[in-house]
Amino acid sequence: MHYPLEYEVIVVGGGHAGVEAALASARVGAKTLLLTQSIDTIGQMSCNPAIGGIGKGHLVKEIDALGGAMAQAADKACIQFRTLNSSKGPAVQASRAQADRILYKEAIRSLIYNAKNLDIFQQSVEDIYIQNGNIIGLKTQAEIEFKAKTIVFTVGTFLRGKIHIGNQQSSGGRAGCSASNALGEKLLQLPFRIGRLKTGTPPRIAAASVDFSVLEQQAGDSNIKGFSFMYQTQDTPRQISCYIAHTNTTTHQIIAKNIASSAMYSGNISGIGPRYCPSIEDKIMRFKDKDAHQIFIEPEGLNSSELYPNGVSTSLPFTVQLDFIRSMQGFEQAHITRPGYAIEYDYFDPRDLEPTMQSKIIPNLFLAGQINGTTGYEEAGAQGLIAGLNAAKLAQGQKTWFPKRHEAYIGVLIDDLITKGTQEPYRMFTSRAEYRLTLREDNADQRLTAIGYDLGLVDEERWQKFKIKMQNIEDSYSFFAKTFIHPNSFDALAIEKEFGEKIEREYSVLDLLKRPQISLSKMLAINNLQFINKFPQEVMLQVEINIKYAGYIKRQELEIAKLSKNENTLIAPNFDYSEVKGLSCELFEKLSELRPATIGIASRIPGMTPAAISLLLIYLKKHSQN
Amino acid sequence: MNDTIAAIATAKGQGGVGIIRVSGPLAFKVGQKICDLMVDNIEPRMAMRCDFYDTLDFSIIDNGLVIFFKAPHSFTGEDVVELHGHGGIVVQDLILQSVLNLDVRLARAGEFSERAFINNKLDLAQAEAIASLISASSKESARASVRSLTGEFSKKINALVEDVINLRLYVEAAIDFPEEEIDFLQDEIIYSSLHKLIENLEIILANSTQGALLAEGADIVIVGAPNVGKSTLLNLFAQDDVAIVSEHEGTTRDMIKQKINLQGLVLNIIDTAGIRVTDNQVEQIGIARAKQAMQHADVILLMVDKNTLAIINDLSVDLNAPNVLLVVNKIDKFDAGNDDELEKFLQAEHIKISAKYNLGIEALIQAIHEAVGFNKIDSNVFIARRRHIDALGRALAAINLGFEHLQKTRAGELLAEELLVAQNSLNEITGEFSADDLLGKIFSQFCIGK
Repeated sequence: MHYPLEYEVIVVGGGHAGVEAALASARVGAKTLLLTQSIDTIGQMSCNPAIGGIGKGHLVKEIDALGGAMAQAADKACIQFRTLNSSKGPAVQASRAQADRILYKEAIRSLIYNAKNLDIFQQSVEDIYIQNGNIIGLKTQAEIEFKAKTIVFTVGTFLRGKIHIGNQQSSGGRAGCSASNALGEKLLQLPFRIGRLKTGTPPRIAAASVDFSVLEQQAGDSNIKGFSFMYQTQDTPRQISCYIAHTNTTTHQIIAKNIASSAMYSGNISGIGPRYCPSIEDKIMRFKDKDAHQIFIEPEGLNSSELYPNGVSTSLPFTVQLDFIRSMQGFEQAHITRPGYAIEYDYFDPRDLEPTMQSKIIPNLFLAGQINGTTGYEEAGAQGLIAGLNAAKLAQGQKTWFPKRHEAYIGVLIDDLITKGTQEPYRMFTSRAEYRLTLREDNADQRLTAIGYDLGLVDEERWQKFKIKMQNIEDSYSFFAKTFIHPNSFDALAIEKEFGEKIEREYSVLDLLKRPQISLSKMLAINNLQFINKFPQEVMLQVEINIKYAGYIKRQELEIAKLSKNENTLIAPNFDYSEVKGLSCELFEKLSELRPATIGIASRIPGMTPAAISLLLIYLKKHSQN
Repeated sequence: MNDTIAAIATAKGQGGVGIIRVSGPLAFKVGQKICDLMVDNIEPRMAMRCDFYDTLDFSIIDNGLVIFFKAPHSFTGEDVVELHGHGGIVVQDLILQSVLNLDVRLARAGEFSERAFINNKLDLAQAEAIASLISASSKESARASVRSLTGEFSKKINALVEDVINLRLYVEAAIDFPEEEIDFLQDEIIYSSLHKLIENLEIILANSTQGALLAEGADIVIVGAPNVGKSTLLNLFAQDDVAIVSEHEGTTRDMIKQKINLQGLVLNIIDTAGIRVTDNQVEQIGIARAKQAMQHADVILLMVDKNTLAIINDLSVDLNAPNVLLVVNKIDKFDAGNDDELEKFLQAEHIKISAKYNLGIEALIQAIHEAVGFNKIDSNVFIARRRHIDALGRALAAINLGFEHLQKTRAGELLAEELLVAQNSLNEITGEFSADDLLGKIFSQFCIGK
């Protein structure tokens, strides 16, 4: 049957990408349908119960600045908060929260249920309708047909997903959920370039069966900052600790002895797994000289009786899993509640995408999340938001938008994917961002809120709060510039004592902050100097960061300005590269295959030369004169 | 917005006048600095005679004319300064080096023309010509780069790049994986590695700044079967009996090194033992040394005669490599009838000579000059080296700054930033090393992963 209502945007999949996609589409006013196999698993954290981390925390803050859901849900579910790299500079500090799975899912579901313009429907998609090269609709298992102007696929690991535990294999998209095989087979018939990846998850353990007294306790920060710009202290539930356990030589012997029965080592798995999240088998086989690995024991929730042992992802048979877990100190009596497993799934080569997450093959189809070869909730959510936004914009005949590398980690993520593709599940790291000192967690709001507001992603409440913060920063700047410390005054002496820096003449607070040794937080701790403590902490901190990084920020701005011409020079999708004389065969082929949207994207294709970019620029310029 | 670029605009050689052209927003400042002029003294399009100063030690390098062109009334449409000095590669290089010290980048081939076109200073018809110029010269300079990177210079640079990558490995791992108990920023090893890296960079820079090629000369190795005439050729070049010439195979047991000036080009010629498998121990060592010498040579002269053509197949020398010259000696012994057969065998490009009767030697000298890049119209090799030295200088400055940040504030992310700048500079010499390559190295070295 035809469903009577026609949607502007349909989002298929209710994971982290699907949620952000559906919400973003609905926020900018498109009539949106979220189509999922199971409404009960919307917002499910399939792997580790945590949000954020280095590079990932940055993504969460950016999603938040564009009005997304992840940060708000993480704050409501946060049962342990930590600022990582707190001993290093602000550019590389990142937030990480242990999340209660149930609270997280509830927070997400409440946002979905309360969103305007958004319907939900539970059915798995079995077929798609293509007309004149565009996708026009979908058919579900019960033969219900939906139509939409644009469609977003966020199907995660569900496309022909295959679960491995030892030598046992079963079809599935996640433990307990069936794979999308019919849809997977259907998509195989289209001219997408499809590859196979692998990821894994550790066994879960019953908390009551573990002896915590012999484990190292790891408490969270007492100063909980939260992820969202809209964060309020009362959002945060009770805080609890994680624990650190260690593998030992016995553990390693058990694994080494049984290595042949691991799905990854028996040759059953062809997909490539992530290098940065190796299975315990890989760690032991590749780093034979280490006789202990640290394992983070993370609670699954406030009321959960299960633990997540972070660091022992495995595809060994269940009995071996039980043996090696029990070989660890404190786990002698451990009971496994769910076995660990490896999962193989299809992914679509992301080089077939535009930076708007639009498919180059089916122009009104958008892809986001693990289907594009990424891993992680944060990476998925970020893509979902951009895909949902642009699916809505395209459906409404409005201008699309995507962040560039210098604007956001989301821009780095998308640009890396579409120019270089990926050979393993792609995860964000700060070392991937060349403008790392500019792209900080602490200024995600300043980088993206105004853009989000213009696009319709950011609501009035956030916008007003943001404007107040910006005004505060400005006021605080001029206050520091006009407030002086006089030589030989009590204030000066206090500063000299604290920092060992001589104050030989009159200095403004602003000038003092330019000295690398002098820190604002330490100044604020001095009793004498309470008169400078006039603005909210985070506001004053912004002033300090801008002063401390000033030279670098300026250098990166110059670099960005230099490249901006390239970033803004468009190349038509049907551009004929054979017209450009002097291009080498290799680069001609790469360009013709990848069809970069701008000169900037072209310049980042691996193997590209400055000479070839010059040739392109000259050709385009000549063409535009004609 | 563009950066400021500079290059030697005249053909390389011993001509009377050499021009350095500078284009971009900093051009006027550069002209002022080099010529020590006040702003008020600058009058566009007016030639002024002045001294050119070294921007580091303020000594006088040269005396000549400076002309300022105000945008848009210039060749490129940007601010342009031309420094007309004396010809001669060393002087011009010193001036260029002074310019590059002022935040100026060495221009790519065809880049002045490219900017002229983009700024509407050239018409459409000229665009094609520029395009072909860029594509031709990028191939040429790529070849030159390969050539200039053979030998000791490249070995040292590759070792440096390795050191930078290793340092970054530790610094980036400490930043991206703080929970892995590998916070190397607190580690004294970082300090000592930084010290050593800076020291090595300084040594290489000091050694290569004075126009390495011209001062130190190019290393040329002569390789061939025993008795093919290597020593005779060497004697001919050197005009002196340095090598023992005899009719017995394997006379030259050790390597003979000779520094000679071959029509203006300084060459370090290394004559090797004949490459031949023998039970004679001494000879074996000679062969090993010859092979080693070949690895580090700027140019290899592979010498054959009609009896030893087979050696071409036996040796693992790539005849198509731009720094390998195939020399056929004793052409006086070929008879006309057999020559066709010889040609058939010699598919690769080659030079025919007779060392004994001094035949074809001019052509050989010409070929050697070309292979080294010492050619009146081809300054690419020289430019390639200048580019490398320029890149090394920027890398050193960045690493010094990063070190300072680490010492003062233990700011690991600023050290990381400067090391990235250094890596990017060195990438210009050795090719791309991406963020993903770095991550790969981190994962293979450290056991990371929750």
